[in-house]
Amino acid sequence: MIDARNVVKTFHGRGQVVRAVDDVTTAVTKGEVVVIIGPSGSGKSTFLRCLNGLETFDSGHIVIDGMDLAAKKTDINLVRREVGMVFQQFNLFPHKTVLENITLAQQVVRGRKPAEAEETARKLLKKVGIAEKEAEYPARLSGGQQQRVAIARALAMNPKVMLFDEPTSALDPEMVGEVLDVMKQLAREGMTMVVVTHEMGFAREVADRVLFMDAGKLVEEGIPSEIFSNPKEERTKIFLNQVL
Amino acid sequence: MRKDIILNTGNTQIYSKLLLAAILILATAGMWGATARVDYTWRWERVPQYFLYKGEEAHKAAQDAKVARIQPQGKSTAVTLDYDDGTQEQFVVDTDALKVTQGETLFGGDTVGFTSSWHVGPLIKGLWVTFWLSGLSGILGLALGLVTGLCRISKNYTLRGLASLYVELIRGTPLLVQIFIFYFFIGTVLNLDRMVAGVGALGIFAGAYIAEIIRAGIQSIPRGQMEAARSLGMTVPQAMRHIILPQAFKRTLPPLAGQFISLIKDSSLVSVIAITDLTKSGREVITSSFATFEVWFTVAALYLIVTSLLSQVVFWMERRLSVSD
Ligand SMILES: Nc1ncnc2c1ncn2[C@@H]1O[C@H](COP(=O)(O)OP(=O)(O)OP(=O)(O)O)[C@@H](O)[C@H]1O
Ligand SMILES: [Mg+2]
Repeated sequence: MIDARNVVKTFHGRGQVVRAVDDVTTAVTKGEVVVIIGPSGSGKSTFLRCLNGLETFDSGHIVIDGMDLAAKKTDINLVRREVGMVFQQFNLFPHKTVLENITLAQQVVRGRKPAEAEETARKLLKKVGIAEKEAEYPARLSGGQQQRVAIARALAMNPKVMLFDEPTSALDPEMVGEVLDVMKQLAREGMTMVVVTHEMGFAREVADRVLFMDAGKLVEEGIPSEIFSNPKEERTKIFLNQVL
Repeated sequence: MRKDIILNTGNTQIYSKLLLAAILILATAGMWGATARVDYTWRWERVPQYFLYKGEEAHKAAQDAKVARIQPQGKSTAVTLDYDDGTQEQFVVDTDALKVTQGETLFGGDTVGFTSSWHVGPLIKGLWVTFWLSGLSGILGLALGLVTGLCRISKNYTLRGLASLYVELIRGTPLLVQIFIFYFFIGTVLNLDRMVAGVGALGIFAGAYIAEIIRAGIQSIPRGQMEAARSLGMTVPQAMRHIILPQAFKRTLPPLAGQFISLIKDSSLVSVIAITDLTKSGREVITSSFATFEVWFTVAALYLIVTSLLSQVVFWMERRLSVSD
């Protein structure tokens, strides 16, 4: 589903070069849930953003569902339709109601009829548990509710992969659970997911595989029980000692 | 914080209102005293006729004729003339302004009678010209501003350069000079009508300012909005149209309104290229009425009415757009 090979992404700022993603190679198969952990500034977000073309990368290849992002002739918009993304800051469209947030891209991008788009939207709102809020504007929702709308908005495009960039980090603690529950349900249903998170409990419970990144490098990967109880690399141990 | 201030003002509010009233009364008295000193006779009664007046129109026989029939129909009267060449013509004139009798012989050019009707005066005509002059140039300015604003943030160096050049050139020179250049140079080269030149100069002027307003508005929208739209598969134009511009429009409404109000006022400068807008009509009215003070006050009030109407419309739009806050 996702095949990343030797991906390098550098930022040039104030005379110094930051290797935000440094030669990362990994693959995500269909239905797999991959969790990326690592200290702040280790390049987790940057790598995730490379996966749907929000960042361009300097070298290497990322192939998503057969489409090579590095190839010039690839239409990035076609790739993005298949890759849903959920952001830390929700990024709902504040001038649209909850329902419109979910129907807009379906109509504009997928060319669905309004009735069809609304039906999909209502079904998804029910699934994430906020069917009664469809006429509200995002500003009137709690953080947890906003993030669930954002998940529904991404799902409405019927993506083949869902990317989550710290979806619960901007939430008050009591709202983290409701968002994680939705994500767990998605994982059970067989959605292919790449999740950047600091929720180690979620990683342990849901992930098929955990990637640990540090300083742009993919330091270690493995099944959760192995990474958490028996990390091989020194840097992984230090990081886990800090967060657990 | 603000709540406290409002709550504590119960008493001081009364004093503030009294103070405001006192200042206004003093100002009025001062103006009255000043005009008394220069020995000016106010003749406000001369002003209304320049808004609306009753004009009389003479109806004349086209050639030598005989009055064949006179049929009174209440306030107006129908008069039928038999021309010497055998044709007939019918006139309808006001009964109290009928100048012919049954069977009378008329020469060509003789007056059969008059009709009177209401005509709009120069002030209303000028107001109308100002109105659509600023309306058209506002639309032109908005279109130019939108395109230029988008060019200013485009990745294309040429577009960015051209857009900045346009904005700098227009903002760095006086509007009056631009109007002269537009009319005398561009207008002559391209053989433009003075109205086209006026609308063009005003629209291009407003466009430069609107471009900056729109650029700032677009840049004030968080990056995450574009990223969210793009991650859903929207193209940049789609994201602009559905996500960025509607939000930017809401934020730029107050400065845009200010710009349009400026435009209405700046449109008075086109009177220098002999467009009879409200200001020029005012000047013309003064030459026939000699009521200098009254006419300028009236002209100012008319501008004020148009601009405050616009403010009201914008206020209403702002209220409507704020439902999502
Ligand atoms: N737009 C940018 N311009 C310059 N440098 C950037 C940019 N975005 C990220 N970086 C740098 O790239 C590195 C990786 O950043 P990234 O945001 O991917 O880290 P992260 O692992 O997501 O961290 P966090 O857990 O804090 O979100 C950091 O050193 C950061 O300063
Ligand atoms: Mg991050």
